[in-house]
Amino acid sequence: MNAAFSFYASTLLVYLGVDILAVWSLNLQYGVTGIYNFAWIMFQAVGAYTAGVLTLGPDTGNGGFQQYVLGLRLPEPLPVLLAGAVSGALALVVGIVALRRLRTDYQAMVMLVISVIAVLVVENVTKLFNGPAGLSLVPQPFGSLPLSALGYQWFYVGLTAAVCLIVYLFVHRVTSSPLGRALRATRDNEDAAQALGKNVVRLRLFVFVFGGAIAGISGAVLIEFIGAWSPGSWAYVETLVVLTAIIVGGTGNNAGVMLGALLVPVAFNEATRFIPQFGRPGLVDALQWIVIGGLALVFLWFWPRGIIPERRRRFPGGPAAVPAVPAPRPGEPA
Amino acid sequence: MTSSLFVQSIGFGLVTASILALASVGFTLQFGVSNILNLAYGDIMTACAFAGYAVNQAGGSIPESLAAGAGCGALASVLLNRYLYRPFVRHGTKLFGMVVVTLAVGIIVQNILLGAYGATFFSYNFSTGRQVHFLGMVFDTSQLMIIGLSVVAMILVQLLLTRTRLGKAMRATAANPSLAQASGIATDQVTDLAWLLSGALCGLAGVVLVLNTSAFQSTTGNDFLVIIIAAAMLGGVGRPAGAMAASVVLGVVTEVAAGFITPSFKEVIAFGVLVVVLLFRPTGIFGQGATVKEIPT
Repeated sequence: MNAAFSFYASTLLVYLGVDILAVWSLNLQYGVTGIYNFAWIMFQAVGAYTAGVLTLGPDTGNGGFQQYVLGLRLPEPLPVLLAGAVSGALALVVGIVALRRLRTDYQAMVMLVISVIAVLVVENVTKLFNGPAGLSLVPQPFGSLPLSALGYQWFYVGLTAAVCLIVYLFVHRVTSSPLGRALRATRDNEDAAQALGKNVVRLRLFVFVFGGAIAGISGAVLIEFIGAWSPGSWAYVETLVVLTAIIVGGTGNNAGVMLGALLVPVAFNEATRFIPQFGRPGLVDALQWIVIGGLALVFLWFWPRGIIPERRRRFPGGPAAVPAVPAPRPGEPA
Repeated sequence: MTSSLFVQSIGFGLVTASILALASVGFTLQFGVSNILNLAYGDIMTACAFAGYAVNQAGGSIPESLAAGAGCGALASVLLNRYLYRPFVRHGTKLFGMVVVTLAVGIIVQNILLGAYGATFFSYNFSTGRQVHFLGMVFDTSQLMIIGLSVVAMILVQLLLTRTRLGKAMRATAANPSLAQASGIATDQVTDLAWLLSGALCGLAGVVLVLNTSAFQSTTGNDFLVIIIAAAMLGGVGRPAGAMAASVVLGVVTEVAAGFITPSFKEVIAFGVLVVVLLFRPTGIFGQGATVKEIPT
């Protein structure tokens, strides 16, 4: 394997890891619990910015060319953990406003609006996160290790894999436990779940915060790798990419959405990267978005359950085991 | 801020409110009749603005551009609903899936426009006319035309919805589609007509929006969508009269506040108003405590 290819492959693997974290996070919220989180990308961005300002040091560094709040230089893994905590806290605030009292269709609208507003605020309040330029020169973690550039790439792949593994343990624990069952019940029939004594609002809020924290961690892993991020790359349409990955892979299925993360953001973006630019500048980018939109439409029509559908769960003593009793017709004696 | 500036910003607010009313009434009507949250709405607006632009460049007058925009919006909306949204609903796509469908359609439309026209700004070739002074507010003739157009359109929509059989049928379809159908209303045709009407409003809104902002590009309509959604929610989604009232409130509040703070915070202010209202009245100021309706099939 030559060095250039190795460099490329390791970069892709880090992106894949970040995207896998992303789809797990949104899948928990949308796929498992049925929360319409169109502001997902905002939670990833907040995590990224948190990790950024916690590793950059004071903003007088590098000639003071960028402005941001806080400006600390914390040791790993504190920035990543705090990124998750801050995103989770934001999710709690947003969730309390949006999830508690609003109808589901209103929730979708509020989330979308929040996502747009967040970009506007960050772009216009330059003191907060350096405005439209975003943060750059974020140092990579463990930069003092005696590693070659290539060696560090693979080291970071390992770090990303470790984060994915830890997060997976948590995600799997939630989805395979009675709690996961309650979440799916909330999604499938809110009234029935409520009638059985489940606190639907609290379940939703929990998953919103939990998923938000994972989104924040994914953002932290990303920014510490690429070293920069700006508001332009977290427009609300970016959430559509993650959503498409979930729909393609298999809504509600942790393994399925992993496949989706591999196919949509990674494989698709890489396959189209090598298309030579033609037409006016930006035409290829526009076509990419058209195809992503088309992909979501095609899958929603032909394979709404995705490539690896969510497993149908059967329980001993469930409906299958009960002999079917024909319901009495109206007018007939019961 | 001096008082004359304050009065002038109310004038700007009335213009913004007029554009917003056209757009949000169309948006809320689509939701009311079909229970579809059409996130492609802003991008259809942009497409209509480009249609009006084509007429304008061919030497057409502004009324002709407006007609082209309205026609383009009406046609596109009816086709979109009949051949994409409704089939998806009948195919069994649930509310969330439908939101993703409309979002995908919006992205596709926006990027077709981007691919076709590039990322440059366009502006109509027209004169804003002489200035008119009115109660300390200054308007261009074109702005007065926008206000007049919007007021006439709103009165017509309100009359249609409350005074005609068709309007009654639309409201019946919105309130309870299966009951409406059982009562002999041809809900499919009524829905088509509702999308025709809302599409025409969408197209008009697209053209007047770019007439007022003078420069536009492929994302202009979608940027406006946030305020449209805020107005529709504030008025209680699915309630045209509520959207009209909310448009006036948001239009004036955002423009006056923009004078105090910075113009780039218009959407943020609109959103702030929305959040405060939703905290106290989760169904909007004018909305009733509605429950989630069935999606008509």
